[in-house]
Amino acid sequence: MDELTREFLIESQEGLDRMERCLTELESRPDDTALLADIFRSVHTIKGTTGFLGFKRLEKLAHAGENLLGLLRDGKLVAKPHIITGLLELLDGLRSILSNIEADGGEVDVEDAELIARLEELQEPDEEPQPEELSAALTSTQVQNPLLMAMAQEQKQAVVQKKATAEAVARPRPVPQAAPASGSEPAKGAAAVTTATSAAESTLRVDVALLNRMMNLVGELVLTRNQVLQATAADSKMTLLTRRLDMVTADLRESVMKARMQPVSNIFSKMPRIVRDVSQLLGRKVRLEMNGQETELDKSLLEAIKDPLTHAVRNSLDHGIEPPEVRVAAGKNAEGTLKLRAGQQGSHVIVEVSDDGAGISAEKVRKKAIERGLITLEAAAQLPDRELLNLIFLPGFSTATAVTSVSGRGVGMDVVKTNVEKIGGEVEIESRLGKGTTLRLRIPLTLAIIPALIVRSLDKSFAVPQGALSELVHLSTEQAVEAIEWIENAPLYRLRGQLLPLVFLDRMLMADTRGQSREVGDIFVAVLDADGRRYGLVVDGLADPEEIVVKPLSHVLKDIGLYSGATVLGNGDLALILDPGAIAARAGVAMRAEEQIKMGDAVVEAEEAQGNEYLLVEVAGRRAAVRLADVLRIEQVSASRVEYIGVRPVLHFDGQLLAVEDAGGILAEARGEMQVIVVVCREAGRQIGVAVSHVLDVAAGSDLIEAGTAQAASGVTLLKDRVTGIVDLGSVSMLPLPEAASEACVENAQ
Amino acid sequence: MSTAANSLRSCKKETAVEMAEVCSIHLGDGLYGLPISHILEIVGDTKPETVPLAPAFVGGLVHYRGDVLTTVNARQLLGMPPLEGKVPDLLVVESANGCFGLIVDSVREVLTVSQEDFEPNPSTIHERSKAFFAGTYKLKDRLMVMLDPARIDPLELARAN
Repeated sequence: MDELTREFLIESQEGLDRMERCLTELESRPDDTALLADIFRSVHTIKGTTGFLGFKRLEKLAHAGENLLGLLRDGKLVAKPHIITGLLELLDGLRSILSNIEADGGEVDVEDAELIARLEELQEPDEEPQPEELSAALTSTQVQNPLLMAMAQEQKQAVVQKKATAEAVARPRPVPQAAPASGSEPAKGAAAVTTATSAAESTLRVDVALLNRMMNLVGELVLTRNQVLQATAADSKMTLLTRRLDMVTADLRESVMKARMQPVSNIFSKMPRIVRDVSQLLGRKVRLEMNGQETELDKSLLEAIKDPLTHAVRNSLDHGIEPPEVRVAAGKNAEGTLKLRAGQQGSHVIVEVSDDGAGISAEKVRKKAIERGLITLEAAAQLPDRELLNLIFLPGFSTATAVTSVSGRGVGMDVVKTNVEKIGGEVEIESRLGKGTTLRLRIPLTLAIIPALIVRSLDKSFAVPQGALSELVHLSTEQAVEAIEWIENAPLYRLRGQLLPLVFLDRMLMADTRGQSREVGDIFVAVLDADGRRYGLVVDGLADPEEIVVKPLSHVLKDIGLYSGATVLGNGDLALILDPGAIAARAGVAMRAEEQIKMGDAVVEAEEAQGNEYLLVEVAGRRAAVRLADVLRIEQVSASRVEYIGVRPVLHFDGQLLAVEDAGGILAEARGEMQVIVVVCREAGRQIGVAVSHVLDVAAGSDLIEAGTAQAASGVTLLKDRVTGIVDLGSVSMLPLPEAASEACVENAQ
Repeated sequence: MSTAANSLRSCKKETAVEMAEVCSIHLGDGLYGLPISHILEIVGDTKPETVPLAPAFVGGLVHYRGDVLTTVNARQLLGMPPLEGKVPDLLVVESANGCFGLIVDSVREVLTVSQEDFEPNPSTIHERSKAFFAGTYKLKDRLMVMLDPARIDPLELARAN
């Protein structure tokens, strides 16, 4: 295929994508001339170029479409649903010819007479198809025509489906469906279209391989810069130059990373069409709302979630949103809502598909899972409802009573889960019976760069992906001797009353396992949670967490089975990236008994560790919550270490002063060597300690709506089904204490 | 054995034009060679990062132009004791499976050798070593043993183990 044709193909496909978006929008705004003009332009461009390249079949079809679109644009015809359906058919026809050209370098020599005739028919004003005729056609969806016969198998299937929807839309009382967006969206959409055309001229297509190479080289540059900075640190003449180099490098790195990012709208924009087609096929009334399309994601990741997302949307339409009559009977609006949401949360992008449909019945899931032999009767009886839902991710699970063409063949949710996990993402499902279902995909921002904790062992640095890390425990030599207990040769540590198996990294990495003593020195325990295996990884030291660039390892080293890659640290050293799951498996850490069946719970737990999470504490007999994101660490200190500035308790650590909030009077009561627990929190650039009696748990909180308002009540959250107050860190006064503030503090304490 | 035959052939192909360029390498007391066409770069002064639990022939990891390369320790391969008192040199070698590093005592000049001086492996050398050698060039004053890039590739070595 020559360069010209390839370019034509890419351009035409982009044009058709735009046309598809416009067509679905057109349904809600049939009079929008700007939209019509845009669609016309897409088809016209194809027609123009194709004549030049000599694709006769394509030209003919595009010409027929252009005629129809011309009438619409000039206002001689109104874009009624059956015309839009015809245009969508045109779109599919054009697409299939394009893919033929792409595959074979030329058109397949068949006539699109039927489609062209249909398009011409539509040009007749007020030509409304006979209802009876069409509903008859609807019952036999296997419509055959020469065009379909000639097409490749999968295309054929797709078009048959389109055919079916085409008939569906022209039923006696066609219902306008699938409005593409919420309130403000139409205006925004129109504006976006105009800017898009001018933007097209200032953009350039770049090979992804080239971008990958650039990314690699920039990584290299960053390292060289680091070395230059170190080497010239003493030379004052170089300071200005190196600082400049530093800045330019940082900017360059950011730009290259940005170049790989694409907005989620690239896949979201395909959804209105899918929703329209599927909902018509199934007789559902659905309104699609999309939010956060501008959220950006690495191109490779975007590709990877396209299929899972499409699947999730189809699933929602098929199993989630009920037929209109069922909805009305249940007292709901006949029109269901499907929401697509994307947004960034820390180093992850969250993509949510939620519907206000029937929800998933835990009881049904339980029955089905037992029926399919996926779980034993006893195990099923013990599973809480929330965990039962995760069973739908097991291969071969489907709750649909009838197999439909849309979904229900028992493949699906497991594929969604595997695909998302393949790229390091996670899937979570939430469902309330009768209220709806939310499927949440959590995708890492890029594949190449992950946050990691750098640990030291065997005098080497290793990187541990932060995603698997739940907490860190420091044990001094004396503490370690006491705190680590042994059952035969298995070291264990009591973490808040629960036994945590320990894995000594150095011992695991030494080939010679004989003569290993139980002696331990000053150690750190990284509590890891990998695929439901929870254990403590014992290391000699910690370094600052870093965002690391993941470099693949050669097969020889990958086969060792403990490393998932390597990285170059900021100081230029190489570090191996540990695979927490593989280490657990090697050390024989089993999944907790219940976790073996509840699959995917680890996902939920990991999820909990980051989202709307709270540390549940008890302060003088009352429960209180601290936002987990604010918690830096938990210190256990003897009461004698607490000192006072005025009435204000403070602690000092390595020359740093920490103000301690003691609203519960815990410090005031503690004497001598009594141990007190201080939760060290981050608040607006400073650190604050909160004295608590006990640390109870970490749990997900949910917002409470203040009665009579639509606003979430501030300062409280629903934690483990109890209303719990959130500790307001902002109100803790600054150090040094002004007179007035310290008085207020006394009042607080009382 | 097909890979050996192949690499031998590829080696011959280079020498088919009468002359070939060979990078000479010192390992212990021996002189070895690698066809220059397989060498991407010669990097001095590197300290490979060791990899716990890796096969013995792996000399560690090195950072090379944005990639992390697995290295092969040539001394270990040929059954020599570890090098002492000197920072080894690193050759970046290209093979069918990608790139890898080869750690050698030192890299010397590039020699132009004649195909006429080439001889296949003598039958008497140790089987173990023979696997890594592609043949020998008879230089004026000594012999230069050619290393076979395809056979010292870490992936091949792992397979052979």
